[in-house]
Amino acid sequence: MSLAARHLEANGIPTVIMGCAKDIVEYCGVPRFLFSDFPLGNPTGRPHDPQSQAFTVELALRVLESAPRPRTTVQSPLRWSEDPAWKLDFSNIARLSPEEIARRRAEFDRQKEIAKTVRAKPQAAQ
Amino acid sequence: MAEEEEFGFAPEHDAPIPYLERIRVYYQALGYGAPYHWAHYADVPFAPLRKPPADSRIGLVTTAAPWRPDKGDQGPGAPYNAAAKFYTVYSGDSAVEHDLRIAHVGYDRTHTTAEDGNAWFPLPALRRLAAAGRIGEVAPRFHGAPTNRSHRATIDRDCPELLARVREDKADAVILVAV
Repeated sequence: MSLAARHLEANGIPTVIMGCAKDIVEYCGVPRFLFSDFPLGNPTGRPHDPQSQAFTVELALRVLESAPRPRTTVQSPLRWSEDPAWKLDFSNIARLSPEEIARRRAEFDRQKEIAKTVRAKPQAAQ
Repeated sequence: MAEEEEFGFAPEHDAPIPYLERIRVYYQALGYGAPYHWAHYADVPFAPLRKPPADSRIGLVTTAAPWRPDKGDQGPGAPYNAAAKFYTVYSGDSAVEHDLRIAHVGYDRTHTTAEDGNAWFPLPALRRLAAAGRIGEVAPRFHGAPTNRSHRATIDRDCPELLARVREDKADAVILVAV
């Protein structure tokens, strides 16, 4: 998604990215970025919370219209939860047993094979 | 008294998750050798906004995928489902409702369940902003960008295709939502 934003921007079209993976987006280098410090999967606000969603999209527009320079990141003030412990879980190898690691490896290999099959068959989703 | 209490510091882990490091260590521990090379540039392009949002046609690009009943479990909380991935840019009519899912990407399945599409697909929110006059209008189509591990496919094929479609739509600016 960061690459798409860069390509549009290089061709004269202003963009803003909404996302939850701060380091990945900034490492690529993008013009404007609204970062929500939420679990991956919630880039446009908290689920079942229209107010949070409206606030987040409005903030993205503010970033779009006011960023002074490329690499402008604004962090949404919204917090996922008072307790930040959720941030310790995602893909954290220190929290997984050897059995769980083995299970995940087998599942990853299986999904990779499926992806290969899907990719080999050209298809338009819509 | 710990310093963080004395000075009101937040706990050390209360910072954006270091995904680059987490993912590198994770796949190394799973037994995969060469780490993934994330896209990385020193220079960043910048196109200034030519008119205010209230006078602009705003486009939308998403990595979410249309729900397809023949592609396995894509429901809330579904395990990672590679069969639901797509590898070509698709477009949808912005004027109608869409059921887009995220089972094909690595979202946080421990702490969120993907029940509410409005948390990752803000088309209804954009329509409301257009109705309220905050933006001029929503572009006639939104576009789906494949989540492809191949940088070559993304750069050589998907990015030019997205640009062509955004230009056809005559969008003045674009919101890209990365799930």
